[in-house]
Amino acid sequence: MNWVVELVLRVVAVLAFLVLTVLFLIWLERKVLGRIQMRMGPMRTAPYGVLQPVADALKLMTKEGLRPQGADTWVYHLGPVVAVLPALLVWVTIPFTGSLVVQDMRLGAFYIVAVSGVSVVGMVMAGWSSNNKYALLGAARSAAQMISYELPLVLALLGVVMLAQSLSLGDIVAQQSPWPYLLLQPLGFALFLVAGLAELARNPFDIYHADTEIVGGPFVEYSGIRWALFFMAEYVNLFAICALASLLFLGGWKGPLLPPILWFLVKTYAFVFFIIWLRAALPRLRIDQLMTLAWRYLVPLAFANILLNAFYLYFELPAWTLSLASLALLGVAVVPLYRHWSGRAVVKARLADRVGMSKAESQA
Amino acid sequence: MIGRLDTVDMMVNMGPQHPSTHGVFRMVLTVDGERIVAAEPVIGYLHRGVEKLCENLTYRQIVPLFDRMDYLADYNNELGLALALEKLMGIQPPRRAEFIRVILCELTRITSHMMFYGSFGSDAGVTTPFIYAFRQREEVQQVLESVSGVRMMPNYIRVGGLREDVPADFSERLSKLLPKLRQGIEECDDLLTRNEIMLARSAGLAAISGKEAIAYGLSGPNLRASGVAEDIRRTQPYSIYPELEFDVPLGQNGDIWDRYCIRLEEMRQSVKIVEQCLEKMPDGPTMAEMPKALRPPPGEVYVCAENPRGDFGVYLVSQGGDKPYRLKVRAPSFCNLMVLERLLKGCYVADCVLVLGSLDIVLGEVDR
Amino acid sequence: MNGVFRALGTTFKTMLRHPVTVQYPDEQLPVSPRRRGFPRLLVDPEVGELRCSGCGICARHCLTQALKVTMKDNPNFAAGKSQRKKIVDKFELDVGQCTECAVCIEMCNSGGIEMTKEWCAPSTSRQGLRRDLAQQNGSAEAVH
Repeated sequence: MNWVVELVLRVVAVLAFLVLTVLFLIWLERKVLGRIQMRMGPMRTAPYGVLQPVADALKLMTKEGLRPQGADTWVYHLGPVVAVLPALLVWVTIPFTGSLVVQDMRLGAFYIVAVSGVSVVGMVMAGWSSNNKYALLGAARSAAQMISYELPLVLALLGVVMLAQSLSLGDIVAQQSPWPYLLLQPLGFALFLVAGLAELARNPFDIYHADTEIVGGPFVEYSGIRWALFFMAEYVNLFAICALASLLFLGGWKGPLLPPILWFLVKTYAFVFFIIWLRAALPRLRIDQLMTLAWRYLVPLAFANILLNAFYLYFELPAWTLSLASLALLGVAVVPLYRHWSGRAVVKARLADRVGMSKAESQA
Repeated sequence: MIGRLDTVDMMVNMGPQHPSTHGVFRMVLTVDGERIVAAEPVIGYLHRGVEKLCENLTYRQIVPLFDRMDYLADYNNELGLALALEKLMGIQPPRRAEFIRVILCELTRITSHMMFYGSFGSDAGVTTPFIYAFRQREEVQQVLESVSGVRMMPNYIRVGGLREDVPADFSERLSKLLPKLRQGIEECDDLLTRNEIMLARSAGLAAISGKEAIAYGLSGPNLRASGVAEDIRRTQPYSIYPELEFDVPLGQNGDIWDRYCIRLEEMRQSVKIVEQCLEKMPDGPTMAEMPKALRPPPGEVYVCAENPRGDFGVYLVSQGGDKPYRLKVRAPSFCNLMVLERLLKGCYVADCVLVLGSLDIVLGEVDR
Repeated sequence: MNGVFRALGTTFKTMLRHPVTVQYPDEQLPVSPRRRGFPRLLVDPEVGELRCSGCGICARHCLTQALKVTMKDNPNFAAGKSQRKKIVDKFELDVGQCTECAVCIEMCNSGGIEMTKEWCAPSTSRQGLRRDLAQQNGSAEAVH
């Protein structure tokens, strides 16, 4: 029975860690956003606002949980659960270090991809059951967004799996011995980041839950602890994507000097910080631009990435060719994207050209 | 078997309570999927009857009411009223007062455009420009507070000059502020202007040609973005603007990005104007010789001034008493709003906040 | 994507700056000497009475009708100590209505009213917002 006890202990440890991480991330996001905006962030709830997330959690737990009339009861109540469970289940196989993992499955990457896809169902359930036309619209948009970006995410992941020849996350990290996969797969890394951001629905892809135009997306009719569950799902997912990025591309817990767990945390939090930084700096894309980006740019690039990896593996080319080819493809891809987005003639027009009609001209 | 799908256009209400409508403004949109087919603006939620109230108030009491119309450009509103009364009564304010008025109005233009910048970024989805804008605004507001005593609704620019002279450290404070303001504007520019995502959201959208813009009665930066060279400070100059050197930025396409860039550039030009005024400002009195009770002679007058939002007109009919017979205000935001439906047709729902933001309306002015 | 990188660079630079906000109300930013708050009545130091004669011109001109003024015969005049025939009896200011526009200061003919720097006047009842300035005798200091 020893292994049962051990498993339960590991699961409890991971859950406790996740809860603490969510609380910490809430605080970190508000503080970092505040500092970027030259203000202080939360300061009142404890020195430096450390207990702010606890205050938020308490507030949400004591709020009245309303259910709109006409909402489908079972679906309404199960929606948040279905959205949050996959986020937590993914953590079963994410290794913190070589030995700190609940269960390092041989099908690790496959399991993660399969399980995280279920959270879309949770969102659609939430939107549908709310008996609200805006929630339905939001849910439809969110489903479209998440499904579209699953493809580039999975394909980028697949690229790494091809290189490592294994689906187990522990093996993938072990294979990154001399060089992290970031150097071999810059294109894959970029794809993973962008697709990961869109999966998380963070800026610049947060169109459906930060609607300035209509209302707040599929979660609009939720309040209190149910909304807190969605919120928690978002932060757990955020941490999962960042952890995956550091495991797959940066070499996870490998590194000199510091203990492995610290390296893992440093790398993951570097990504977390980067994502928060993006939130502060970038406006959001429109839904059609989002979909265009996914289907016309990311998916072909993802397939090209896979082809590159295939060539590399089949012809057993030296590693630097792969890095170079990947980097070249990344560069080639960004240029037409830049052109397409920045408008045609607008990019060429410099601001100086626009200033006209000086005093002399006007008096003539 | 699948024939034509009969679709029904959906009516979406962007109600008066909304985080992005810049005030209590209501739009009833008819959307076909994601495209807007028709847009009907509904205004009047902020109507306070300012013009009717003015008929029962003396001219000294009207000044605070004028502050509250376009509450983001309060000095400019007061200037419009002062110009109208001065024209009617034939009073020439002293030179020093004119210079100080122009300085204050240009500073207010900077704060107003900063507010536009902040809310434009926030409409597009990023909150940082708002904070940057308000940081710069804060600096200017502190200077304005040192002059009139309040940050909003100053009740300072009067017929015949100013209520009182500026404090002694005004010039020094302002000359220290201007380089910081310049740097702040560049920072704001860096954040949003060339941002590809911003360009994707705004370039080429809701474009309007110069001719159409004139036909719809646009004025101010919206009109200049379409390439029409019309700036009241140049075409019908008032106060000391003929003596000042500044450029008037013009756009090319009249789309959202152009309107945004024009305002950013206007901020830089305003800084230039303030610098020139600080150099040239003479000493002297700040109020002409005026009776305490204002009784303009019978007659009517129309003056227009360049507000941050456009062409601000004041039409004053006096019958010789101490209260006006009729005081009509041509509010630029009200006239700019007429073009909203034309701009919104064919846009996505997600764009309508950006279009509305780019017109930069203030509901206090629209509804009066 | 250099626009995006520029935006990231700008936000990074501001992140390293000292925050510009202060923790109100523990620290407060300085206000200008001309800051307009609520009005108060002034005392004539020679005679030791209020300058306000209770004529009510300020109340008539107040845009929000925040002032109610009544006048009475000046007991000091009857006693021969002062030149003012009439003096203010009750000068009620409704702080909740006052917009600090200073039209009352402009209109006053006897120089008996001025603006303080007090803008913070919370109260738990409507009645608490109304204050009798004549009773305070011009001694309400600038409080904030």
